[in-house]
Amino acid sequence: MTVFKSAFIAAALVVAAPVSFAESAETEQASNATQIIAKVNGMVCDFCARAVTKVFGKEDAVESVDVDLDAGEIRVALKNGATISDERVGELVKKSGYDLVSVLRDTA
Amino acid sequence: MSRFCYFLCVALLALFLGQTADARPVSYPEGWTIMQHNNGDFSSAHVHYSPTFQDSFGIYSERNWANDWQFTGVQYNRLVKRWNTSDSQANLYFKLGAGQADAFGDSDESLAGFVDISADWETRRWFLAYDARAYDLGFDQDFRQFARLGVAPYIGDYGDLHTWLMVQVDHDPESDTPVTATPLIRFFYDVQLLEIGYTPETDRFMLNWIIRL
Repeated sequence: MTVFKSAFIAAALVVAAPVSFAESAETEQASNATQIIAKVNGMVCDFCARAVTKVFGKEDAVESVDVDLDAGEIRVALKNGATISDERVGELVKKSGYDLVSVLRDTA
Repeated sequence: MSRFCYFLCVALLALFLGQTADARPVSYPEGWTIMQHNNGDFSSAHVHYSPTFQDSFGIYSERNWANDWQFTGVQYNRLVKRWNTSDSQANLYFKLGAGQADAFGDSDESLAGFVDISADWETRRWFLAYDARAYDLGFDQDFRQFARLGVAPYIGDYGDLHTWLMVQVDHDPESDTPVTATPLIRFFYDVQLLEIGYTPETDRFMLNWIIRL
């Protein structure tokens, strides 16, 4: 019985370890993702925010999009290793119907 | 077709198309919009697709109970100009419709069309809008305009339920009551907008809704 118990624990560790490692790696990737903060003019309503979320969300490089209406900012998290130029950010803001004021980059 | 059947058909159409605001006549690129307006004088339904944030194409149907006619056709909406500032947005729109119309009780249909110009200005607290529309129905001409003022009693964050208190003043020279004022409340949540109002002069309710997909 002790042999079975030891074998079971060993098997469980073998199965769980890679999963646990993968989760750690994912967390690592997310924390290393580059965030772009685009300050825009004209984004005064919830629907405006939805427009930029839709447009930025279609970009391959974009992991997630968040909007701060109070600050007039679009916060874009990029996928690991992905990049997006300031010019492209400006195009996407324009395509959404708003005007880009500035772009800040933040690498966590 | 009775008013109830008309409302029901449009509601079923919306449900069929999807469960998925803002009253602007254009959406975000590749966005679909379904909107319906009812105010006692007329009921309308408009479904449109926006290839860009400046244009939308769609179909428009209106039953005008005040002036006894109905119109069905295609509609093009154009954002002529947008002014963006750090705390406001203003828009100027042009709309064009072409189709056919007939008077109630008359089976003859006429080629018909309309032109519409509208403008709005909005901050997170205040809202102003104006719209004027002129119809050529073939057998008659029609004109109406309205202005609207709104205030948000609280400023919600992105994703919250947004509420606006508004008053709309309508002018329809052909109507039995040419000038009316309608206090209304607007709820805007996710991609859905609902407006409920009441017009004391005519003892009629307003019910507008918009869904963006």
